Amino acid sequence: MSTAPVEIREPEVGEETTTDTPWIVIVWNDPVNLMNYVVYVFQKLFGYSRKKATRLMRQVHEEGKAVVSDGTREKCEGDVARLHAHGLWATMEHES
Amino acid sequence: MSPRWRRFRRGSGDALILSLTPEEAEFLVLLPVELREVFDGPLDDPAGRRLFPAAYLDPTEEAAETEWKAMVHPDLMRQRLDALAVVAASLERSTRQGDFIELELEPDDVQAWLAVLNDVRLVLGTRLEITEDDGDVAADDPRAAAYGVYAWLTHLQGALIDQLL
Repeated sequence: MSTAPVEIREPEVGEETTTDTPWIVIVWNDPVNLMNYVVYVFQKLFGYSRKKATRLMRQVHEEGKAVVSDGTREKCEGDVARLHAHGLWATMEHES
Repeated sequence: MSPRWRRFRRGSGDALILSLTPEEAEFLVLLPVELREVFDGPLDDPAGRRLFPAAYLDPTEEAAETEWKAMVHPDLMRQRLDALAVVAASLERSTRQGDFIELELEPDDVQAWLAVLNDVRLVLGTRLEITEDDGDVAADDPRAAAYGVYAWLTHLQGALIDQLL
């Protein structure tokens, strides 16, 4: 194994480090969206099984919200945009 | 014995055939027009804010929110406008079949219909302040007609999704 010198790169200000907590995407309940529509959207956007999509929909409906995806800020911003494009109410936040 | 009327049935290939009464078709033609007015407006009322909500609730993420909105809003608006055009075009293509008006919807048309039906319901539902436990509305309630429209659009969208699931 070679032991070539390793260059240490300091993270720049504002750049996320690997110790940054990931982001989560939350879908909130609203009285307009149909339950079967929400199931359909979760399957379509995230490739979830009918079972998982239904479980998440029930959680949104019964608990008021559910975490539907997670990842980097960029990924979650994309997921939120796609959910909004389908008329669902979604937001993102740091995973606590 | 004549076959039972069905709101949706399979057409050739991947097409779905939507069957409407002439009155229903006439009414649906108005939806893209009305939604267009909302999209062209200031979007600063509850309906506008529901159509284009925030991504971040955390007030310390205001910069990220502004950047995100600038990046995605044009696309979100474009997609909504495109869906209006697709729905309007499918209604224009409709044909009379006996007592009914029929529309042949390809998969892309179906996605547009889903978007438009959902958007109209979001606008109407927000303006009517629909809640989870909205029961029947009194016939003399001035909003009764709007509730009726909302309920019918809900039925139509639900029936369409049932075809896809």
